Amino acid sequence: MSSDTSTNPEQDAVLRASIDRSLRHPVMFFLTSGAAWLAVSIILGIVSSAKVHSPGFLDSCSWLTYGRTQAAHLNALVYGWGFQAAFGVIVWLMSRLSRQECRASGLILTAGHIWNLGVSIGILGILGGFSTGMPWMEFPVFAWPVILISYFAIVIWSFIQFKVRPEGHVYISQWYLMAALIWFPWVFITANVLLHVIPGNPVMAAGINAWYKSSLIFLFFTPIALGTAFYLVPKVSGRPIYSYSLAKLGFWSLAVIMPWAGMQKLTGAPIPYFLPYLGATATILFFIPAITAAVNLLKTAISSGDLVNNSPTLRFTMAGIVGLMVMAGAAVFLNIPGQTLELSQFSMSGYGFEILSLYGFFSFVMFGSIYFIVPRITRREWLSRRLIKMHFFISIYGIVLIALVAIFGGIQQGIGQEEFGKSYITIAERTFPYAWAVTISWIFILISNVFFFMHLTVMWLRLGRRSNHPTLLNTEHGHSPHGEEGDIDNCGPGSASASAH
Amino acid sequence: MSSPSQQPTNKPDLDESINVTKAHGRVDRETAATAREERLVDNGHEPVSLWVIVACGIVLLIAGGVLGKAGTLFSYGSTFQEGYVRGKAPGAGDEGPVAKTALAAFSGKGAKIYSKCNGCHGADGRGDGANYPSLAGSKWVAGDTQKLAMVILNGLQGPTSTGKVYGAGIMPAQGAGMGAEDLAGVMTYIRNSFGNASGDVVTVEMAQAALELSAARAKGGPVNAEEIAADHMTMLPGEALDPMTLVNPATLKPVE
Repeated sequence: MSSDTSTNPEQDAVLRASIDRSLRHPVMFFLTSGAAWLAVSIILGIVSSAKVHSPGFLDSCSWLTYGRTQAAHLNALVYGWGFQAAFGVIVWLMSRLSRQECRASGLILTAGHIWNLGVSIGILGILGGFSTGMPWMEFPVFAWPVILISYFAIVIWSFIQFKVRPEGHVYISQWYLMAALIWFPWVFITANVLLHVIPGNPVMAAGINAWYKSSLIFLFFTPIALGTAFYLVPKVSGRPIYSYSLAKLGFWSLAVIMPWAGMQKLTGAPIPYFLPYLGATATILFFIPAITAAVNLLKTAISSGDLVNNSPTLRFTMAGIVGLMVMAGAAVFLNIPGQTLELSQFSMSGYGFEILSLYGFFSFVMFGSIYFIVPRITRREWLSRRLIKMHFFISIYGIVLIALVAIFGGIQQGIGQEEFGKSYITIAERTFPYAWAVTISWIFILISNVFFFMHLTVMWLRLGRRSNHPTLLNTEHGHSPHGEEGDIDNCGPGSASASAH
Repeated sequence: MSSPSQQPTNKPDLDESINVTKAHGRVDRETAATAREERLVDNGHEPVSLWVIVACGIVLLIAGGVLGKAGTLFSYGSTFQEGYVRGKAPGAGDEGPVAKTALAAFSGKGAKIYSKCNGCHGADGRGDGANYPSLAGSKWVAGDTQKLAMVILNGLQGPTSTGKVYGAGIMPAQGAGMGAEDLAGVMTYIRNSFGNASGDVVTVEMAQAALELSAARAKGGPVNAEEIAADHMTMLPGEALDPMTLVNPATLKPVE
């Protein structure tokens, strides 16, 4: 195990504290700028969703038409928030697991700024009307090399740290993180080269685009979130991973199955006949890596149920794992050719599934890790448990609503579309309440994240609690299981050395 | 950074230059959060629940069923059925008969005209081998269209394309009362039936040209092998029509 070490616990704690300190600038930059992009994305999401049911909303300005805001909304969510949260967690987690201080935090910080520049130009390009029109790849063509180069500049240090790690054993989180770090450039270069550099048949281009989208979800966001959860759950609960061999089965099934997914979005298109079926099969089989990992984590955490309720980190992470199980069920339910695939193929199911995976699963795990990491790198504790609770519950309301829309609204819309003899207005009427539901759920998510943004800003300004006690959700700060509270800068009776174990 | 591990360590603990309480305090401040962390402990080896295995097995079966439906690798026929014609949307206004591809529409018209011919050449187009020649595989049916048009419109005297003289000896002219659309239909039908597969359409424009050529022939009466070889081994003039063009089967005009 990564923490099996000959040093004594106190020296070990000093090492971990020095790792955290060495990373405080880049990690805090990724988390705060990621949160800022999340805010942009949510607001654009509300605007674009409102246009679905109220077409007159903000219709006077070409910058705010649906085709631009919807694309900008998803790209800000993926590249602005998703990737940057992932970078913050990857950089921190790989240093922790490789037990080394980061020696390139200045370079990572610079590369992070370049990444943000690329995303900003991309989003402005989309809003200005220079979108490529390819889902999740709408950034103007010149943006992708910038993004790719800054990606390598950010993560190369994690590869190096992994390479020179002191111990031979590779923990399951490192499996997931390393795999995601390798898969993303493969997927990104393949899709961009085939679509922008040597464009071929446009029908197949749509297929490659669908594969790219699916691969980002299943080969980047999913392994990053799973690797993080496999670190956080045993770390906070103090329990071993329930079954380590099951964890490896989950990893390898993900690696073998998921690259095949994606082309089911082109069912009925003139591409080789087996490709959509292969995509549908692989997406259905996502159930196996998802459920094995989710059950493993649930069984690990369930024995410390009170802690799941009490720790912000565990509560968000386990909610994300429940989101993963819903996502796995939806992957089976929505992709059966001849029954549901036709209904979900061109309906809001696709969007709902993307948001379920990006927010209901990935973002929740990222929030969990942020609640774990930020106090360690700022050396301040979260200010208020009420803010965290508001963030949690209102986010849950929002994502549950979106999941319902994804699964049932999309099917309803699909049934309407199949009745091609009826006029379009009947389909629109069928979809109308679900379109409203999407807007309402984005408003919920916005409100919940206002609490999060406020809280994160306070932490960024280092105005958090100067305490040696963590902020727990159901325990008053003074009555923590960690003994008496003491000021972090004034070694009192309840200070770390008094309660060290 | 000012980690205590970088403090000089060769000094005795009670050296007056080190305030032990203060040094300890710095460790405490640095490690307030990390000191209370749990450690990642040994790997668990608990057994996998039965219901996980059963659920994964069910999903494997579903996925196998889906993959089983994938057919052969590139079976375009499953996506695009042979002769598929888009149906009219129910409730749409009356826009005439459902459009067909040109090949299907011309052949369909020709099949009705052919009922005049099948008394001699047979419903299968193979004649009887003794009195009436076969249209299947005939060199005068395939290839250049003008010779076939001349035979149909004027009849044929003497040997056929194989050089054989059949029992009937003469084919009577069929041109009386035959319009350009009828001729185009029956020629397209013959050239694409009975095993013939020219794959092209004889258009109304070409058939009109054939009627004019036939009327302008110097000598009347049936054509014969010498005249065909001398004058008619050529395609009828006119612009070719893509056989997959959608046309109105009644008027044979392309649909918009």
